[in-house]
Amino acid sequence: MSENMITMTIDGVACQAKEGEYILNVARANAIFIPAICYLTRCSPTLACRICLVEADGKRVYACNAKAKDGMEVLTSNQEILEERKAIMQVYDVNHPLQCGVCDQSGSCELQNYTLELSVDTQPYVIADTTREAKNWSSVLHYDPGLCIVCERCVTVCKDMIGDAAITTGARGGVELDKEYKESMPKDAYSMWNKLQKSVITPSNDTDSTNCSDCGECIAVCPVGALVSRDFVYTTNSWELTKVPATCAHCSSGCQIYYETKPTSIENRDQKIYRVTNEWNYLSLCGAGRFGYDFENRVVAKNEVAFRVAIDAIKSAQAIRFTSVITNEEALMLQTLKEKLGVKLFNTEAKAFQNFMSSYTTHSGNMLFGGNIKEMMQTSDFIISIGSSLRNDNPNVRYLFNNIQKLNKGAGLYFHPVGDSLITSMGKNITQIEHKVGTEEAILYWILDQFADKEKLPSEINEYITSFHEVSKKTITEKVITDVTETVVDAETGESKEIVKKVTTNVEKEIEVVANRLLDILDAPADFDATLEKYLGKKENFSLVLGEDLYFHSQVKNLAHLVALIEEFTPFSVAIIPPRTNSLGVALLCELDDDMNDDKITTVGYNTIGDFVLSSLGNGDLDMPAMNQQEGTLTNMHKRVVPTNAAVSYHGYELNDIMNELGFGQDLTVDWTSLLPTGRGFKSVDFDSLPNGYTNSGEENRGYRLENKTTKSTSSIPTKIVTSDISGEILYRCNPQRQFNEFTDKAHQIFEEFALYVSKEKAEMLGDKATLEINNKEFTLPVVVDDRMSGDIIKLPDFKHSHEIYTHFGDSRFKSTTIRKA
Amino acid sequence: MNEIRKEDERVKGTQEYVLLDLSHSPETGFDQFAQVVKRTFGKELFVGLWVTLREMGSTLFGKGKHTVSYPLEKMPIAPRYRAIHDMLRLLESGNYRCIGCGLCEKICISNCIAMDTKYDENQRKEVSEYTINFGRCIFCGYCAEVCPELAIVHGGRYENASEQRASFSLFEDMLKPIDMLTQQKEFDGFGAVSPNADENIKKTPLAY
Amino acid sequence: MDPLLIGTVLKSIIVLSIVSALAGFGTYIERKVLAFMQRRLGPTHVGPFGLLQIAADGIKLFTKEDIIPSNANKLIFSVAPAIAAATAFIAISAVPLFHTFEFTVPVINQLVIVPSVIADINIGILFVLGMMAAGLYAPLLAGMAQANKWGIIGSSRTAVQFLSYEVVTGLSVMAPIMLVGSLSLIDFNNAQADGVGSWIVWQQPVAFVLFLIAGFAETNRTPFDLLEHEAEVVSGYATEYSGLRWGMFFIGEYANMITISFLLAIIFCGGYSDIGFVAGWLAMLLKVAFFFFLMLWIRAAWPHVRPDQLMWLCWKVLMPIAVINIVITGLVVMLG
Repeated sequence: MSENMITMTIDGVACQAKEGEYILNVARANAIFIPAICYLTRCSPTLACRICLVEADGKRVYACNAKAKDGMEVLTSNQEILEERKAIMQVYDVNHPLQCGVCDQSGSCELQNYTLELSVDTQPYVIADTTREAKNWSSVLHYDPGLCIVCERCVTVCKDMIGDAAITTGARGGVELDKEYKESMPKDAYSMWNKLQKSVITPSNDTDSTNCSDCGECIAVCPVGALVSRDFVYTTNSWELTKVPATCAHCSSGCQIYYETKPTSIENRDQKIYRVTNEWNYLSLCGAGRFGYDFENRVVAKNEVAFRVAIDAIKSAQAIRFTSVITNEEALMLQTLKEKLGVKLFNTEAKAFQNFMSSYTTHSGNMLFGGNIKEMMQTSDFIISIGSSLRNDNPNVRYLFNNIQKLNKGAGLYFHPVGDSLITSMGKNITQIEHKVGTEEAILYWILDQFADKEKLPSEINEYITSFHEVSKKTITEKVITDVTETVVDAETGESKEIVKKVTTNVEKEIEVVANRLLDILDAPADFDATLEKYLGKKENFSLVLGEDLYFHSQVKNLAHLVALIEEFTPFSVAIIPPRTNSLGVALLCELDDDMNDDKITTVGYNTIGDFVLSSLGNGDLDMPAMNQQEGTLTNMHKRVVPTNAAVSYHGYELNDIMNELGFGQDLTVDWTSLLPTGRGFKSVDFDSLPNGYTNSGEENRGYRLENKTTKSTSSIPTKIVTSDISGEILYRCNPQRQFNEFTDKAHQIFEEFALYVSKEKAEMLGDKATLEINNKEFTLPVVVDDRMSGDIIKLPDFKHSHEIYTHFGDSRFKSTTIRKA
Repeated sequence: MNEIRKEDERVKGTQEYVLLDLSHSPETGFDQFAQVVKRTFGKELFVGLWVTLREMGSTLFGKGKHTVSYPLEKMPIAPRYRAIHDMLRLLESGNYRCIGCGLCEKICISNCIAMDTKYDENQRKEVSEYTINFGRCIFCGYCAEVCPELAIVHGGRYENASEQRASFSLFEDMLKPIDMLTQQKEFDGFGAVSPNADENIKKTPLAY
Repeated sequence: MDPLLIGTVLKSIIVLSIVSALAGFGTYIERKVLAFMQRRLGPTHVGPFGLLQIAADGIKLFTKEDIIPSNANKLIFSVAPAIAAATAFIAISAVPLFHTFEFTVPVINQLVIVPSVIADINIGILFVLGMMAAGLYAPLLAGMAQANKWGIIGSSRTAVQFLSYEVVTGLSVMAPIMLVGSLSLIDFNNAQADGVGSWIVWQQPVAFVLFLIAGFAETNRTPFDLLEHEAEVVSGYATEYSGLRWGMFFIGEYANMITISFLLAIIFCGGYSDIGFVAGWLAMLLKVAFFFFLMLWIRAAWPHVRPDQLMWLCWKVLMPIAVINIVITGLVVMLG
């Protein structure tokens, strides 16, 4: 960290802070209370509420946008400030409906809190109210403008964090403020009111519905009950809900969430999850995390018969096939089964990831990649994303991409065969390169070429890269200004004087232009070099994020090798995104075998196909608990082992029961936590001692960080670029925005269907339904327009295991196919 | 019945306490003997007999008995008595007053109130289910006191015994029947608004 | 067969059943009278005026589970209630309840003389008092057999109270015996046959009062109901009893109350002799009813005494008075 640490005092308390940090953030980190409604810790200041007024070195400043200086003395309140704040709260209360009795936010409402905090008990201001109708913005968002105080937190978070920028302030159409107030009211309260009276929140696309990823982060940040999920409206009061701290089980971000539970109904006293909330000041969730919570497997009793059959099935099985949506503990149990019973372990996505990682480890000597996404979010100002459809694969990395543009004023390159207009909409300094399928090696070589320290780079590689340089001579016309000295004789005085004249001449010149053929391979735009030069100005902190396309690639080993080289020889910090929830954990814990999909092998499937199926989805031969019904740990892409908790009851058998029956179990599933192998970076700690929260300063205090194990790297030279040619219609294995697996599909608020997602132009060709053929198997699926996609590639989801999409795609995420209108 | 009430009212007004003249216990044997003689040959024992006989006479032939023939007759309940809850309706529209705010559920110290609410088709919060577990209710009256709408109050039904635990516990059982709306009285018991409530309210300026 | 034997058996059965029924009825009367005196209702719901309450109680007592505590002496525990009932009824056998009945059997046209007393023995008064005294074994044994501390306290109180007041009963009745000169209750009756004026109560008011007080103590009635006083010793000797066994104690107590009432009527108040136009049997019933009512009345009116007061009353007050009464009576008889 290059920032200088400074010391300042807030209300007499000495606080350490980074220079340039906002006073409000310093106060929050040091647990000093400064009232603020509109400011979000990680976002840019909005200055809508003006309630965070403080006195810094005798001057009145807004804590949310005043920067901390060394030796600064801040007073959080004095009489005048309190009056100013009270006036603001009195204004906020004007025409705010007195319906706290039914409001969903009542009890956790910031308007209520601050009204009481600033002891507002009278209403001196008055204005005619405007009719504002409640609206449903999308399948999940419910907006009641009557309750809205236009603090713009939703707008800010949507723009700064999420990147959708789907909502904005619009005209309210209210009456003008009485001119008298300008004199009689405190200044800040008047200007706040003046703005408030004119605005209301609307979708930014001038329609009645938002075009966004339905992440619901606006709901989370709303201080009042104006924004609520449609499903949650009026179902319960916030104080009745029990918060169960857990970890989201849908993607490899492993975000911290709270399952908020309450008995289902009066008749049914079983706990039910009513909503998912997050620490929105420190972390943003995606739509799957927030709304895909009711995927529990309700099992009322143990099915002993099925259990017996399961034991026999496992004893006689030759292989266990599973997905990465399992805990570390379960993964370790499966590995134990492999060791004790000699069964094979099949897990396609984790195996691919493991292959990539092991090759990476071989060449870099590191077990784990070096980049840290949380740090990148705070510091990075240049990001390259390769091999991942960011919008679909990992919302957190997408937020990272957006963050770097919005908050760190950075630039970004997005390499992907499928164009995505959302990414380019995130900032001005973004270039999207829709490269050909299978040319990821070229990208990595290009990065080496562009950024690597050439002197340290092995000469063979240098040579290979240089071989792509095409030096051409080009004649350019250059204006050359030369000084010409002339001796002029003054006519009058007769003196001769030397004067210097500037003469511009056009000179033709031949220069060497280095064209990089690698960029041609990638179909980069013609002026890419110039653009890049502009992007790179004043940039210090480089990030590279890598996605699933690289693990499902014919040249996977070579790609990993190149990544290792990039990490070694360029300033990039590299983050590798595990393809599924706990792929990293599974890859570290299990020795996986190649799944040949041989029908002769008897398999037990865990949440996937097999001859005998253990299922958390409720459709198998023996029920297993779903992720919100079990305790355990997950290994997320931040290289942390984070705990999750059971929010919903489960009365059936767990994997540990099977282990016990076979004779190598533990008392409890969480007893396995301390057995996770320390040789693979895990720590031997008890589950119950794992924290799951954030500190005041937003530091993640969850579980523990995986330890990186280093080995001696083998230095070798990566192979040359191999381009595979894919022709015809191309399918891309990619899930829709809020779908990650069958669990999200089971949740009732996730509506994205199993369909073909295509760009608008493509949809016009395909119609409503299309039939495609992969490996001689025909699929007829509905066609859904994804208006942010561009290009001809068709996205085919893989979240339903019954379609065996992984099997059909083999070792690539792209597949050629034939398609026709159905 | 009326007689009894009159008498009660008479007693209620003025309480006439009489201090008993408690003499000392006899200390010597002679004192004891004297006391026995006095009590035996004084009228005390016979006064006792006379009083009981007189009461028997008046019970049989005079004023009648004190006993209230419950359950055929019932005593009136004071407004502040906290019996089985009533859910009241709005007198104007007949809609029920409960808005489902959940405060009674929150304040209930024996944790016996539960409700289910939902977003109804009129965009209002609707109470779809409401129960009080009278096996646990201690009739503290907090729910009636906290209710912002005077929707839940304590009614006059104090007979809590029933064959089913669930009796009386549902919203419909407690709700004032719509055809008896005219008989609904404003609640003046525990948690009701004070008679001078209007004086304590500061009015909001409504200039427009 | 001996007609005397047949007659005795028949009379026994009649007396037994009537007295048993009366004992039950007594409870009803007691509850009603107490209720009225306290301005209550008493039983009202079972049958007209609650009359069938007796039947309901009977059914309850008969069907109730009969519990014998595990540490109790089972034999004695079982036998004790029977002693209570048996002694009470045996005592009645020597009491002449009414006139000797004389009637002609219609078919055989033979005059039959039936004395109302079951066993006309010439020491009737001694027998009755003796039998009632023997009744003390019932609560004594019951309390000791049940392995319960309240039972023990109850039985010790029994021993103390019954034995003490036996003295007063005996001494107080000595004076009338001296006057009549017989121990036969029939002679007592006949000695007072000359109308109200000839009642012994006028000659022996002190003896009457003493006998009355002692009678209350003997029958375990308020104000001397210390044996099973709930407020002090749970239920005393009857703590562990339930159902029919407990009922037998109850029947015994009420039978004793009836016996005492008869004794009071016969010894002091003229017995079954006619009073003017009032037939003897009716007079007898009225007198017995009065004494029975008196017991209930006193229960309603008076508080009960402490055990120490009870003993003090017996030995320091009642017994001396009884002795003095005997001496004075003796002197009067000798000198007169």
